[in-house]
Amino acid sequence: MSLYAFLGALEQGFVFAIMALGVYITFRVLDFPDLSVDGTFPLGAAVSAILIVKGVNPFITVAIATLAGMIAGGITALLNTKLKILNLLAGILMMIALYSINIRVMGQPTTALLGYDTIFTPFEAFGIEKYILTPILFAIILIIIAVILVWFLHTDIGLAMRATGNNMKMVKAQGVSTNRMILFGVAFSNGLVALSGALVAQSQGSADVNMGIGTIVAGLASVILGEAIIQDRTVFRAVLGVIIGSVLYRIAIAVALSFKIGALQMTPSDLNLMTSVLVTIALIFPGIRKKIGLKI
Amino acid sequence: MINLENIVKIFHKNTINENKAIKGINLNIEKGDFITVIGSNGAGKSTLLNIIAGNLIPDEGKIYIDNKDVTKTPDYERAAFIGQVFQDPLSGTAGNLSIEENLAIAQKRGEKRWFAKGVKSSDRKKFIESLKVLGLGLESRLKDKVGLLSGGQRQALTLLMATLVRPQILLLDEHTAALDPKTAAKIIELTEYFVSHYKLTALMVTHNMKQALSLGNRTIMMHEGQIILDIKSPERDKLTVKDLLEMFSKVRGEDIVDDKMLLN
Repeated sequence: MSLYAFLGALEQGFVFAIMALGVYITFRVLDFPDLSVDGTFPLGAAVSAILIVKGVNPFITVAIATLAGMIAGGITALLNTKLKILNLLAGILMMIALYSINIRVMGQPTTALLGYDTIFTPFEAFGIEKYILTPILFAIILIIIAVILVWFLHTDIGLAMRATGNNMKMVKAQGVSTNRMILFGVAFSNGLVALSGALVAQSQGSADVNMGIGTIVAGLASVILGEAIIQDRTVFRAVLGVIIGSVLYRIAIAVALSFKIGALQMTPSDLNLMTSVLVTIALIFPGIRKKIGLKI
Repeated sequence: MINLENIVKIFHKNTINENKAIKGINLNIEKGDFITVIGSNGAGKSTLLNIIAGNLIPDEGKIYIDNKDVTKTPDYERAAFIGQVFQDPLSGTAGNLSIEENLAIAQKRGEKRWFAKGVKSSDRKKFIESLKVLGLGLESRLKDKVGLLSGGQRQALTLLMATLVRPQILLLDEHTAALDPKTAAKIIELTEYFVSHYKLTALMVTHNMKQALSLGNRTIMMHEGQIILDIKSPERDKLTVKDLLEMFSKVRGEDIVDDKMLLN
């Protein structure tokens, strides 16, 4: 793998780690399998892209995109808690609704950002190549978000949220509204996913309504890969695991895509198959590790 | 202090499985009462506790805590006044969180939770003192995940968590039924300690007749959704387990009451 490809994988790993941290909040912290992320990821991209085209400051568009993701996530949560729709189904309903909404947001299925200012523009003035600048910028944003997340999960409300995913009966008996925790958690999660979508759109120069397909799988793959590598004994380790998992996932894909066995060359359309194989390996890995007594 | 007025609870209303679990119960719990509740399976003991806790909403009747109507108050809001220990030792604690994190959650019962640090270093000193009372050595394991503890240890921790913020009433739903006899005795000992030390008002469901008469100051016997006996000390002190069993047989029209009760 060339340096260029490696930096590209790092860039992807960092920016998608923000999304994977959102998936970690719903799937692991809240035990709420939320599939709306396949819709909120392109929602973030769409909102950010269309606002940039309309002349809004690119940084502000990221903030608004995050907010849009939080609102969509909040609605998923309310579908579940107030209307008593199964969490999995609530996420699916939101996901397909967002497909239409995202096209409405942009007025078309795709929005190109060529020639427009993005959050990278002010830094390009320093004369750093974009393929180096982007991963550095994403790493900084990711670290800030990871620190906030670890801090948050140790606050009063964070503890209550973690307990909600673990034992609702106990949480209610201790005076916490589990509905409120689910609302905050799923909104927070989808805010991060939309933020990630907005950053991806700005770095690749376009937003597309189909760019969200498979987001949940990539997110879960990162979470599970991270757990396989670092046992999630503490919140800090779990968050670190998600980030490492996300980076490894992107590197594994880049490596696999560069493989050529005889006439067989992997193509991007083989990505889903590779992801499935990777997640399967990651899922059985903790059992193997126990057997051979490996401790990390 | 806590008043139940004409409480009726029907499960599966208007279906073929309709079940009148509580048939018009009136109960006045005085401040400082330690009430033991007995009755055969399906008598409505747990339903009564769940109605007080707000986990179930009655079909008819009113519940007052300190003259405040809480009939429609959701369980998590009512938790500000209520401490609960469940039958399942795993129900009262979060296994994925550490001992200190569980205690931090309990210490905020009835308060608003926002972005303050969950476990402060000043809390740790308090937690260590509280845990020492249990006599289980948990004070040196603050950072251990609760999932690593035994059922008895978790139930003791639940008891501590239920009383960390003094509740207006402590609800104990057969909280020793799932434990081995030695551990159960330890939990009962701790229960007595907490209730007397903090002068708590408590309601304890039990299947153990001897316990029902030896603990607390008042005993209620339930049968088919009604209270058929409500006796306080000093009258209660004269009552023996045999008397209770006879009363049971009378209402049920059977000789043998319940294996569990005889074995105890």
